[in-house]
Amino acid sequence: MLPYAVAAWLFGIGLYGIATSRNFIHLVGCLGVCQSATYVLLLGLGYRWGSIAPIFYDHPPGTPAVDPVMQALVLTDIVVGATLTALLLVLTIQAYKRGGSLDPEKLRPMRAGGKSGRDPGPSRVSDAERSVS
Amino acid sequence: MTAFPAALLPLPVAIPLVVCAAMLATAHLLPGRLPDILATLTALSVAILCAVIAARAADGPLVYWFGGWEPRDGVHLGIGFSVDEASGWIAAFIGLLYALTFLFAWGFFDRTHGHFHILMLLFLAAMVGFCFTRDMFNLFVWFEVMSVAAFALTAYHLEESALAGAINFTVINSLAGFLMLGGIGLIYAQTGTLDFEGIAAAVARGGRDPVVAGAFCLAATALMIKGAIVPFQFWLADAHSVAPSPVSVIFSGSMVSLGLFGLAKVSAVVFAGSDQVQRTLPVLLIGMGSFTALLGGWMALLQRHLKRMLAFSTISHAGIMLTGIGALSAGGTGGMLIYVVGHGLVKGALFMIAGILLATRASIDEIALRGLGRGLGPAGIAMALAGLLLCGLPIGVLDQGTRLVQGALTQQGHGFAVAAGAIGAALTGAAVLRASGRIFLGLGPDPGDEAGAPSQDEREKANRPLWLMLAPCCVLLALDAGLPASLIEHGIPRAASAFMHRPAVGAFAEGPAWLPWASVAAALVGAGYGLFRKRLPAAVVRPVSVTQSAPTRALELLHSGLIGDYAAWLAVGVAAIAAVLTLV
Repeated sequence: MLPYAVAAWLFGIGLYGIATSRNFIHLVGCLGVCQSATYVLLLGLGYRWGSIAPIFYDHPPGTPAVDPVMQALVLTDIVVGATLTALLLVLTIQAYKRGGSLDPEKLRPMRAGGKSGRDPGPSRVSDAERSVS
Repeated sequence: MTAFPAALLPLPVAIPLVVCAAMLATAHLLPGRLPDILATLTALSVAILCAVIAARAADGPLVYWFGGWEPRDGVHLGIGFSVDEASGWIAAFIGLLYALTFLFAWGFFDRTHGHFHILMLLFLAAMVGFCFTRDMFNLFVWFEVMSVAAFALTAYHLEESALAGAINFTVINSLAGFLMLGGIGLIYAQTGTLDFEGIAAAVARGGRDPVVAGAFCLAATALMIKGAIVPFQFWLADAHSVAPSPVSVIFSGSMVSLGLFGLAKVSAVVFAGSDQVQRTLPVLLIGMGSFTALLGGWMALLQRHLKRMLAFSTISHAGIMLTGIGALSAGGTGGMLIYVVGHGLVKGALFMIAGILLATRASIDEIALRGLGRGLGPAGIAMALAGLLLCGLPIGVLDQGTRLVQGALTQQGHGFAVAAGAIGAALTGAAVLRASGRIFLGLGPDPGDEAGAPSQDEREKANRPLWLMLAPCCVLLALDAGLPASLIEHGIPRAASAFMHRPAVGAFAEGPAWLPWASVAAALVGAGYGLFRKRLPAAVVRPVSVTQSAPTRALELLHSGLIGDYAAWLAVGVAAIAAVLTLV
């Protein structure tokens, strides 16, 4: 039971971190915490008490072993995680270079009152001021 | 040894992967237009191969086991591809959409050493793999490959709002990936296999089981995030409006609907044996789908940034597709499959027109573009036609899909969902028609609530002749309007039954014949109101604008662009789905 509780808690706390984050690098870390939840869940599901790692080099075939499929899933998951983290950090660096900030509040995608447009309507002014401050 | 047609199955995935690896290795050596030519030919060959496979699969699904690891005594160790007719045709449609997009983007990215084509081919391979696979974990892998290629393509321009949109897209879709993996882990723990058929058999044996319901909850949430269903839709508007226009064609035309295609497959094949899931599905999918159709349509009508408007229209149509799945009948799912193709054709054409305006008129803002479309007559006609098709003009593939979905829903007494779908389609059609009237005819000098919507001008390169950009767009529209209806009518009952692993049925029910016309009329009224509000008597305009403005501001506030808000909505959505699963 413990691994499942830990996995749920990790996912929840990571999601909380993402929801409240004010810094993109912190946010990428929180995403990593969410992903750790899947590692714990998968390894917990595949674990068998009193059995060996699924390597039969120095054990006779037939020795009880933990589930190798789950371990393969976790390995793939780690690869996915590395890709995502790298990609997100690249995006963060580029966003910082252009926007000069790591705060999601200041780096919002297209908003009413964005920076350009040929004829800024009256409603755009207030929001533009807010995004500058 | 695998027999001839089945041995073809890995090719549509392998060819784009090999070509993109070869292009990456030789990127700096390839002269000028070679990447364009190679990519177009690759996508075309994928389309042709998939069509051949689909035609062969008419008699029964083709199966290919990698490395010859066939199941023995009911134990599935290997990973397989299994293609039924419907999956094959969807993959062929995707290949064709890519080929036309490559034509549209011919010379679009100049100094890129073909990186755009490499990412796009990777994206194509992932989509075809997603359609073909019969293994849960393999499904997750293609899901992730698709996501990663999409993330990189969104941020391709490396502008500030493109980066912010791409980060939102990446974070939300990564969370989707984790949820899916969690679901896959749970279902594997319960059934001991990852093969679709193996899981289905084990689930049917198991009876009511909270772990199976939990697994379904997680996997379905992930696919609905990809399919941009409310309350998971926020990433789509941010990502589609900032991605380069050829990429948006693919996103709206195939990626979003593939999420729902996956959901249809998983719920019809893998979880077919779980009573709890099957009882929940109609409530859940039809409820969420109707709400999504209405909200997306309403938001589309309030936009001034063309790509953002089309993005919300995609959300609305995704909702209609979801109601089709929710009917849980071969008719509803068959209608949804047709709808995926028809919607992809029309929406792809619309994004291409947005790209044409960006390239030739250097703006994407409906109000700034007013009257600037004069001189692009054919594009204007194409846009108006696409708008009419979008709201339900009874011609062509999209209309056939709509009528089948409506028929299935009417048969089961879901009148509310039928109405929501018709209204959603009418609203998106009204938005597109209003924009085409304003841009190409110079109508509507006095904008309504859409004037306060977010907008940002961008530039795309104007180095392509108009006919080269217009030709693929017209091909898409011609395909939608011109595919012979009898062919689809004849083939779809068989294909949909095979897709859902059910015994074949005769013909499907169709929705009421007047409903599409009502949708078209509503769309014309909506567009007319937007364009001629100044000439209408104040007694009409004032009450309408009073009731519009407050909810408009509230909705726009909800789409805050803040990743934290999106994550919170995601948590709310998962909780709601879990609650429905436990209560029903």
